[in-house]
Amino acid sequence: MKRLSTLALIAGAACLDFGVAGTALAAPSCDGAIQLGSVSTITGPVDFSDGPKGAKAVFDQINEAGGINGCKIEYTMADDKGDPQVAAQAARDLIDNKNVVALGGGASLLDCAVNAGTYKRNDVMSVQGVGVDPMCFNAPTIAPVNVGPYTLTTAMLDYASKELKDEKLCTFFIVLGGTQEAYAQAVKRWEEMSGKKIHLVDMTLPLQGDLTPYLIKARDAGCDAVLTNQVEPGVVQMINTADAQKIEGIDWVFLASGYTEGVAKALPNTKQPVYLGTEWEPYTETNEANADWMATMEKAGLPKTAFSQGGYLAAKVLADMIASMDGPVTRERLGAKLLEGKPMKYSIAGSEYVFGDAAKHAPMQATKVMALSEGKWVPKSSGWYVLPAAN
Amino acid sequence: MNSLLTSAVAGLSAGGAYAILGVCAIFNYRLVAVVNFTGAAIGAAGTFVMVALYEAGFPLAVDVVAGVAAGALAATLIGLVMTTWFAGSSASTKAAVTAALLVGIIAVGLRLTGGQHPHNFPEIVAGSAFRLAGVEVTRASVLTIAISVLFTVLTEMFLARTRMGLQLRALSQRPMAAELIGIRVKLLALCVWAVMGAVTSFALMVIAPLRSPDFMSISLLVVPALAAALIGAFTSFRAALVGGLMIGVIEGLASGLDAFSQYRGAIPFVVILAVLLWSQRGARWDEAR
Repeated sequence: MKRLSTLALIAGAACLDFGVAGTALAAPSCDGAIQLGSVSTITGPVDFSDGPKGAKAVFDQINEAGGINGCKIEYTMADDKGDPQVAAQAARDLIDNKNVVALGGGASLLDCAVNAGTYKRNDVMSVQGVGVDPMCFNAPTIAPVNVGPYTLTTAMLDYASKELKDEKLCTFFIVLGGTQEAYAQAVKRWEEMSGKKIHLVDMTLPLQGDLTPYLIKARDAGCDAVLTNQVEPGVVQMINTADAQKIEGIDWVFLASGYTEGVAKALPNTKQPVYLGTEWEPYTETNEANADWMATMEKAGLPKTAFSQGGYLAAKVLADMIASMDGPVTRERLGAKLLEGKPMKYSIAGSEYVFGDAAKHAPMQATKVMALSEGKWVPKSSGWYVLPAAN
Repeated sequence: MNSLLTSAVAGLSAGGAYAILGVCAIFNYRLVAVVNFTGAAIGAAGTFVMVALYEAGFPLAVDVVAGVAAGALAATLIGLVMTTWFAGSSASTKAAVTAALLVGIIAVGLRLTGGQHPHNFPEIVAGSAFRLAGVEVTRASVLTIAISVLFTVLTEMFLARTRMGLQLRALSQRPMAAELIGIRVKLLALCVWAVMGAVTSFALMVIAPLRSPDFMSISLLVVPALAAALIGAFTSFRAALVGGLMIGVIEGLASGLDAFSQYRGAIPFVVILAVLLWSQRGARWDEAR
C-alpha cells in the first residue's frame, strides 16, 4: 500500500513537472486568427478538393478544441480551376489580401509550377498536400507531404527489381507539361542506385487512345515488368488490353495515381499481376496508423480518400509547427521555424517529414506496395519500402 | 518487317472504332446536313446508361437494349434542337452548335458518371477472334469492322434504291424544297438522328472495355472519327470506312517506330492534310492553268 502511494506521488509530481514545463517551453501567440490557406484544383479538369477539405477538417477540429494555445485558425481553400492565370491570382489573393502565414494542404495540377516563384519572392512556405508537378519537388519554399510520382517511379522500379525479381524493366510514361525530364531523372536515379540498366523507356504513351500497340511493344521487347504513370481509367484500360492480348509474365506496376477502389472494382476478374506504390499508409486499410485520420474524416463527414490523407498530414505538420513556436505567429517566424528542418514523425507516412533550408525538397521517400487481388487492393507487406535518401 | 506488320495489326482495333464513327459522321452529314461533333458523346451516353444498369445488377441483354435506346433518345433530343432552331442555318453554324453541345455534354457526363473514376465495362463480345502476326485480334474489333461495313452497304443501298432514301437525299440537299413538296422533314430527320445514336451507342459499347473507361475519353473519339469522315470528303461512306481503318493502322505503325511514336497524336491531321491536298489537286492545277 505504501509502495503504491509513493508511486502515485511520483506520478503526480511528474505530471505537475510536465505541466509546468509545457507552458514554459513553447507558446505561440496571435493577434486575431492565424491565417492559413491553399491553392487547389477543385473545379476544372479534375477535382482534387479532398486534399484541402482534409486539411480543413483538421483545423476545424483544432478550433473546436479551443485553437492552438487559444489561437484559432482560419483556413482559405482557393480554387485554381486548373488554369494558370487563376492559380496565380489565387496565390496573390492569399498572400496579399488574406495575409496567410503559410500555405498547406493544397492539391493542384499546377500550383507549384505557376506559383513557386511567387512563394519564394514573398517568403511564404508551402506544405503541399499532394504535389503533382515536378516544381513541387524542386522549389526552395515548397515541401510536399506526399512521395510524388517521380520518387515513386524510382521506388517502384527498385521494388520490381529487388522484390519481384524482374530483370528487364520497361517504363511507359504519359508526358504532360514539363514532366519528361522529371521522369527521366527518376529512372536515372534508379539506374545509379541499382547499378542496373533500364530495358526500355517510352515517353509517348497517349492520354487517350488505344494501348494495344504499346502492350505488344512491351511484350515483344521481353519486358518482365512494365511501369507506367497511368491515372485511374488508364490503369483499367491497360490491364483489360493485356488480358485481351493474352499477355502473360509481365508485372504491371503503377504509381499512386492508380490507387483507388474504383480501379480495383473495375478489374474484378483479371489474373494479371498488378502492383502499385502508395503515397501514405494505404487508405483502404483500417488500422492503427490510419486511426486518427479516419476519425477526423468521419467527424467531418468527408470521404476517406488518399487525397484527404495528404491534406490531413499537411495540416498536422503546420499545426504542430505552430504549436511548437514561442511568441507571435507571423509569416517570417513560422517560415524560419519550418526552415530549421526539425524532423516530424507521423504514423500515416513512412518517412519523417522535414522542411529544412534547401533548394529543393522531397522528404518523403517511403511507400507501401499494394497488389490487386479479386477486385481489392491488398498490402504486399506490412512494412514500408524505403528508398535511400535522395541526393 | 514482321514487327511492322505486328504494329499495323495492333492498330486495327482502334481503326475499327474510327471507321464506324466516321461512317456515322457521314451518315449524319449526308442525311441531315450536320457535321456532328456530338456523335461519340451520344454513344458515350448510351454506353454509360448500359454500364449503370449493369452495375445495378440487371442482366446484360436488358442493359444493352436500354443503352441503345438511351443513345437513340439522346441523339433524337440533339436532333430536335438542331431541326427546331438551326434547320435554316449554314453548315458551319450547325457544326459550331454541335461543338458547343459536345462541351456541355462532356461536362454533364463527367459529373454524372463520377469524373475520371473508372467503371467496370462488361464485355459484350468477349475473347479473341484470331491471332495475326502475334497480335490477338479481338472479336470486338472484328465486330466493329463488320458493323461499319454492314452499315456502309445498307445505307448506300437504302439511299440509292428506296423512296425514303430519295426523300432523305432531298432533305439534306434542299430542306426547304423538300418540305414544300410534302416530305415530312422533321420526322425523317429525327429518325436519322435516332438511328445514328443507336448504332454509335452499340458500337461504343463493344469497344469501350478496351478504351479508357471514362466519359470524356470516349466522347473525344469524335476527333479521329471526323478525320475519317473528311477522308471520305463527307460524302463517301466507303472512303471513310477505309480511312478510319487506315488512321488506326498508321497510328499502330507509328507507335512501333520510335522515331515517329511521339508524333502519333498528329497522325489524323497529317492524313487529312495529305488527302485534302490530293483531292483538291485538280482544282488547284486547273486554276493555275
